[in-house]
Amino acid sequence: MDDHGHDHPPHLGHHWADSQQQFEAGKLGMWLFLATEVLLFGGLFVGYAVWRGNDPELFQYGSQYLDTWLGAVNTAVLILSSLTMAMAVTYAQLNKQRALMVCLVLTFLGACGFMTIKYIEYTDKFQEGLFPGAAFYDGPKDRAASKYWVEGRPVITRETLLELKRGLGERVPESDIRRPERTRAIAQAEMSAIEPAAIGPRGMGEDIRRELRPRADEYPPPHPVQDPNRPTNAHMFFNIYFMMTGLHGIHVLVGMIVIGWLIVRAAKGHFNSEYYTPVDLGGLYWHIVDLIWIFLFPLFYLIH
Amino acid sequence: MTSIPSNTLHTDNYLNHTRGFMSWAFTLDHKRIGVMYLVSVLVAFFFGGMAALALRTHLIAPGTEMLSEDAYNQMFTLHGAIMVFLVIIPSVPAALGNFVLPIMLGAKDVAFPRLNLFSYHLWVIGAIFFLMSLFTGGLDTGWTFYTPYSTDTASAMGGVIPALTGAFILGFSSIFTGMNFIVTIHRLRPPGMTWFRMPLFLWALYATAVIQVLATPVLGITLMLLIVERAFGIGIFDPALGGDPVLYQHFFWFYSHPAVYIMILPAMGIISELVSVHSHKHIFGYRFIAFSSIAIAIFGFLVWGHHMFVSGQSALLNVIFSAITFSVSIPSAIKVFNWLATMYKGSISLNAPMLYALSFIFIFTIGGLTGLHLGTLATDVHLHDTYFVVAHFHYVMMGSALFAMIGGMHHWWPKITGRMYHELTSQIGAITVFIGFNLTFFPQFMLGSQGMPRRYHDYTGDMWLPETVELFHTYHFWSTIGSYVMAAGFFLTAGYLVHSIFRGKLAPANPWGGRSLEWQCTSPPPHDNFAKQPTVGDCYDFSVLRWDEAEQGYTWREDVPRPGEGDRDPYEKGELE
Amino acid sequence: MSVLDTISISSLAAADALPGRGFWMPERASTVAGDVDFAFNLITWISVFFFVLIVAVMAIFIVKYRRTNGREAEQTVTHHTALELTWTIIPLILVIIIFYVGMVGYLDLRTSPVDAYEVRVTGQKWFWTFEHPSGCIEVDVLRVPVNRPVRLVMGSDDVIHSLFIPAFRVKQDVVPGRYTTLWFEATRTGTFDLFCTEYCGTGHAQMVGHVIVYDEDEFDDALRECREWIEDIDDAQLHLAGANLFNRCQACHSLDGSPGIGPSFLETHEYFHDRRERDMIDGTRALVDENYLRQSILNPRWNTVAGYQPGQMPVFQGQLSERQLRSLIEFIKRLDEIELDDRGRPQVLSPDQIRELGGDSPNDAGAEQ
Repeated sequence: MDDHGHDHPPHLGHHWADSQQQFEAGKLGMWLFLATEVLLFGGLFVGYAVWRGNDPELFQYGSQYLDTWLGAVNTAVLILSSLTMAMAVTYAQLNKQRALMVCLVLTFLGACGFMTIKYIEYTDKFQEGLFPGAAFYDGPKDRAASKYWVEGRPVITRETLLELKRGLGERVPESDIRRPERTRAIAQAEMSAIEPAAIGPRGMGEDIRRELRPRADEYPPPHPVQDPNRPTNAHMFFNIYFMMTGLHGIHVLVGMIVIGWLIVRAAKGHFNSEYYTPVDLGGLYWHIVDLIWIFLFPLFYLIH
Repeated sequence: MTSIPSNTLHTDNYLNHTRGFMSWAFTLDHKRIGVMYLVSVLVAFFFGGMAALALRTHLIAPGTEMLSEDAYNQMFTLHGAIMVFLVIIPSVPAALGNFVLPIMLGAKDVAFPRLNLFSYHLWVIGAIFFLMSLFTGGLDTGWTFYTPYSTDTASAMGGVIPALTGAFILGFSSIFTGMNFIVTIHRLRPPGMTWFRMPLFLWALYATAVIQVLATPVLGITLMLLIVERAFGIGIFDPALGGDPVLYQHFFWFYSHPAVYIMILPAMGIISELVSVHSHKHIFGYRFIAFSSIAIAIFGFLVWGHHMFVSGQSALLNVIFSAITFSVSIPSAIKVFNWLATMYKGSISLNAPMLYALSFIFIFTIGGLTGLHLGTLATDVHLHDTYFVVAHFHYVMMGSALFAMIGGMHHWWPKITGRMYHELTSQIGAITVFIGFNLTFFPQFMLGSQGMPRRYHDYTGDMWLPETVELFHTYHFWSTIGSYVMAAGFFLTAGYLVHSIFRGKLAPANPWGGRSLEWQCTSPPPHDNFAKQPTVGDCYDFSVLRWDEAEQGYTWREDVPRPGEGDRDPYEKGELE
Repeated sequence: MSVLDTISISSLAAADALPGRGFWMPERASTVAGDVDFAFNLITWISVFFFVLIVAVMAIFIVKYRRTNGREAEQTVTHHTALELTWTIIPLILVIIIFYVGMVGYLDLRTSPVDAYEVRVTGQKWFWTFEHPSGCIEVDVLRVPVNRPVRLVMGSDDVIHSLFIPAFRVKQDVVPGRYTTLWFEATRTGTFDLFCTEYCGTGHAQMVGHVIVYDEDEFDDALRECREWIEDIDDAQLHLAGANLFNRCQACHSLDGSPGIGPSFLETHEYFHDRRERDMIDGTRALVDENYLRQSILNPRWNTVAGYQPGQMPVFQGQLSERQLRSLIEFIKRLDEIELDDRGRPQVLSPDQIRELGGDSPNDAGAEQ
């Protein structure tokens, strides 16, 4: 311990007593980093909870435009790649270089597969015009190519939708209206008795369920822009969908870089049963990316 | 370095170990990284301070036309953003913590030196992004970036996205520093240093690091949402598109309230060191101080809603947040009483570090007690967003956090530079800054409780009642005068510190009589800190040290065995642990 | 509870005996002000006690235990659990009391009486609009009756603002996309400050107004005057009446040609005078005539003068009576007849002064003004 620097293996930093101490420190550091990742996504999960609590119908409505099959395949791909990653760590510990290499490459291919399917899904959404934000209401660019668009059906703008809802006697929250002009503020003052911040989650009222139920059998569903039954602010679902899956996608890309780097180092024979810290830590990262997707998949694709 | 042989650093140390710009910019040595942080933070402090002086000068009288409205708004935004993100948050942990923490642990470096360097580079990149915001249309949102003002391109100026990106990057700089410190404290403690034998500064840094790691990612995601919203207008915080502007405030304060403790906790840790070392007396109530740091870190996560008492948040939430807010005041009070008890029957040296520590106790008491006014629901409704709040958080963030940082800088200056500064000048400097500070910010309490709102470019006009203007004028005037006094104090401080680097006396290894490990290596420390890992004793037992006239510093008493050598220390035998 | 009530009632009585500003707080002019001040003073005195205690102890220690003449520190105990618990529990009890006092006062602030007089408030960059049930709409001046609960129902047209009346100790953020409310009951007639306390951009510091508290009978007269005074101003003096409405415009439009968020009225006046066309942002040119002015005020979104950002000006459709609109148009047309002060603000005359210029006898309804 005193004569450091002489019998140090090349991977050992000068400030460590031995490889074990360095490994444990690296592992603790990685877990802390994963904690920050969880909190980073945690912000969005809380956002999801708030928005879902306030407007559950948005999520029931929006999820029918997602392809559950593609999502399920992606989930399987990611879980498999997590398995191969775990096997890679074991083979590194066992000093089996060839098997380590195979598993790392398989993991990398799994990541590529996930991103390819994600690309297919995103492209489909963009073609259908299912964008986050106000661009949602422009409808698909190529209407003939759209699965959902029916030529001849009237387009329901945000304003006409509000008129329709008011006509049905539905109370339209003021937040659904374009930046409120003063005149409207006065016209709607009878709503003033409600303290808005005190409103809890609206919950899935029976009326909302009834309204949406018959539509579950109808496929393909109408394009939201042509749908008089769509909830106001239907685009909000795609806001949170693209933000969460997008941020996750970025993490997958980072994971691919990490795994690629591990492949290069494994090819150079850097890892063995004495030193496999990078494989272990890279594996931890890959598992958290996988884990986050395992939450995202049911939240967006499965539960209505 | 050899031109003045009689007064020069001759031993091999971290400053002269290698030479050249690259040996600094890409160093992995925690001490050099700490010094680079310190210099960068002080440069940022200079610019933030200049902005503050411009603001105060503008407000000296009603109707001043020194700054236009937009210039004023940019100036206070700049002042706030620089001081929060670039100065106070990194000041103690990243600058002083980086330098001191590994040495206090008897370690050669932090756990991840490369990550540490990367944190610093991120700081520089973040600072560059802040600068960029000035040249891309300016930034006038206030450091809080409240929506919908900040996301509305017709309202806020064009520099919002670069500034948000800068804050995002700085957030990651802070996260990485925190991670590094946690791992270092967990894995690199020397033999004999149990958790309850760590210097309290390390406890404070540990609690801080926990907040940095757990709260800052939420800031990251918040800023990301804000960037997306600003760039694409998808309506997350825009009521016109079904979003909620108040949700942003929740997100923002979930980080930014714990961030207040990122600022104050390490400051309190410094004060625990300064008070005991400069009173030459064992710290009183070690465990209460250590646990109160952890308690503050935990409670700090649960009180963010007290920034939003008048935001339209429901009354029930307000009551809950108010109740939890008060729970934070208790651990803070415990610390103050413990510091006083430490001074009892001590031997108090009134040198500059101790003067800053005493200023801290004075100022933090005011800052903390006025926090009660703001945590109380009925009074906060009146005081919210007035100068009372401005005064309160300057008492806490500047008068406490920053003064502790400056006190700590004076305390470790001999260790960092290997030089002593001029003692009398430093005392004058400390007292000037203290007087200037109180003259600047105390009138702002009255200003605020009398109703003056914050972030006001002017306080006169057709609709202002003349007697109100007259009253506000008096307070603003004295506040501005105070800021000049304080600025003079800071310039004096900068002067003698710079002077000491070139002309100061050589510092002994232990000029103040400190017992923690950093005082056991030479000043400045060698590149590897310790040739042989030192053994740890009770780091607050100062009775084993004596003044050595020849050294001009403290040395170990010959009649007392060192830890590990004798059986003097009951901790050593595990009796008290 | 009852003890607290007695104390706060007695402090309220003291408030009535001692009007005007205190050292800390401005004058008390609402029913809740006494409770708020009671809480404030309670906390302040507790704070003063602890502050004096801490600083005195510190000062004594500094003097007594100063390191001089080789004085060494004496060893004392390094912890004392009973002592530490004492200074944990005493502050704990105190903050619980403070919390309780604050909570009770706050719930009173939040719970408005059902029969309150309602005023609609809109915050816009950078002025307040107050609309009374009787139809009187005024900018930056809130007129309320004394000794009667008033409830403000507030909304914002752009960013978050916050309405603050120091003398009443009330404040509430005004958030776009929802309504927030605030109530008070004024206890004293007079004029009080009203501020915006949530930063809202360039003109934040100009978003300042008055609350004027009237006796019940004067209040009705004031509202009537507010609604009707401009109707009986002669056409010859109508531009002077326009100066009265100009405070809504002055945050963005100057009168002396200096640059602002919107074009200076001086330029508009010159264009009008010379019957010139203006370059618009969509590349067309528009003739500056009465119709142009009318359109620009009522629905400014139709077009924007080149060189300015669109969407900045609020829509005034429905906010101005026909006569008010005419007075503003006259004001711009005859800007050269308006006296400006050294800060470029117009000379604003009271309704009575304007009527006198016209030679009419002042309307007795407005005599109180």
